[in-house]
Amino acid sequence: MFGVVRTVVRDPSQAEEVLQEVLLEVWRGASRFKPGRGSALAWMTTIAHRRAIDRVRAENRSAERQLRAARHAVAYDEVAETVEARLDRERVRRCLGSLTRLQCESVTLAYYGGYTFREVAALLGVPEGTVKTRMRDGLIRLRDCLGADQ
Amino acid sequence: MRLRRPELHTLAGAYALDAVPEADRARFERHLARCRACAREQRELREATARLAGAVAADPPAELVERVIAAAAQTRQLPPATGPAPAWPARLIHQVWNARRPPGPWRARRRRLALALAAVFLAAAAASGAIALTAEHNLGAAQQSDHAIAEVLNAPDAVMLTSRVKAGGAATIVMSHRDHALVFTTAGLPPLPGGRGYQLWLMGPHGDRSAGLLPAPHNGMTSPVIATGLAAGDSVALTVEPAAGSGHPTSSPILMLSLTA
Repeated sequence: MFGVVRTVVRDPSQAEEVLQEVLLEVWRGASRFKPGRGSALAWMTTIAHRRAIDRVRAENRSAERQLRAARHAVAYDEVAETVEARLDRERVRRCLGSLTRLQCESVTLAYYGGYTFREVAALLGVPEGTVKTRMRDGLIRLRDCLGADQ
Repeated sequence: MRLRRPELHTLAGAYALDAVPEADRARFERHLARCRACAREQRELREATARLAGAVAADPPAELVERVIAAAAQTRQLPPATGPAPAWPARLIHQVWNARRPPGPWRARRRRLALALAAVFLAAAAASGAIALTAEHNLGAAQQSDHAIAEVLNAPDAVMLTSRVKAGGAATIVMSHRDHALVFTTAGLPPLPGGRGYQLWLMGPHGDRSAGLLPAPHNGMTSPVIATGLAAGDSVALTVEPAAGSGHPTSSPILMLSLTA
C-alpha cells in the first residue's frame, strides 16, 4: 500500500500522511469487508489508491494546477521511468508489455500518475472516448494476462 | 461536461483506475449500484489494479508503522465489531515487526510487513466473523510467549488454517512444521457457564497433550495460544473442560482438525 501511495503522491511526507489515514481506515473498516466482493488485497489497495488520488487532486485545485500542466509534456516518460525502476514483479512488467502502447500509457498514466481520463487524453492528444476504451481494454487484457499466469 | 447515460458504461476502466473526475464519479457509482454485471466487471478490474499496486510495493518507514499501531489500538472499529479494539493485535504487530531477524533482503522485510498488516486486518475481520478464513493468509498474536509466537508467524513454512467450531465461531491456526508449533486463536466462540473453559489439545500417535486453556475472550476473540511439540500425525482439538483444566479430555471435541501436511 505504501508503494502505490508514494508512487501517486510523490512527496514522501505527504505519502506517509496518506498511508497513515489509509491504514486506519482499513483498521476501522475491516469488519465491514465482504469477502464475496473481491480479495482483501484489492479492497485495501483500492482504498490506498483512492486516498492517494484524492490527495493529489485536492492539491491540484490550488495554484499547483498550472505548474503541473507545464510538466505534462514529460509526464509519461517520468512516470514510466519511475514505474520501470520499481517494477519488481516481472510478471506485471511482462503483462504491461503485452498491451498496446496506447493501452499501456493510458493505464499507467492514470494509475501511477494519478491523471483523470480527460487529462490523459489531453496528454496523449487522443480523443477522450478512445482513452476510456483503452483503459478498459487494457485492464481486461492485463487481468487475463496476470490470471493466465498464476 | 456531463456524460450521458449510455456513455457511463464505458467508464468502467477509468473508474477502476480512479481516473474519473469527481463530478462523474458519483454518477458512475449510482450506475454501478443498479448494474450487477458492471459491479462484477468492476471487481475483476480491481483485481488487476491491485496487481499494479503490488508491482510498486515498498516498505513504509518503521516509525510510521509504529505510529499507526499506536493509533489503531486507540481507534474504535466500526460495527459489527464493537467495543474498544483489543490490545493484542497491536502487540502482535509490534512483535512481528520487531522480530529479531538477520537483516535479510527486501523480500524478507516486505514479508514481515505483510504479516504485520495481515495481522491487523485479520484480527479485525476475524472478530466480526466477516472474513471467510480460507485463504493462505498469515495471522498471529501475543502475550508472554510473544517471541515464540512471532517465530511461528515468521517461519518460512508458516501456513494458516481455519475451521468452523461446532458450537459456533471459528478458529484460526498458523502452523509451522519447521518449528513444530502452531498458534491458535478463535473468534465468536459461545460464552461458557462459570466453572468451564475451553482447552486446546494436540492429539495423535503420541497421545493427547494439553496445550492449555484458552484465555477469556476479549471482544469475542481469544488472544493467541501457542502449542509446541507438534508431531507427525497430530490433530488439533478443542474441548470444554472444568475451568482449572483437565489432564485428559473429558468431553468430545467441538473442533478437531488434522494437521497432516
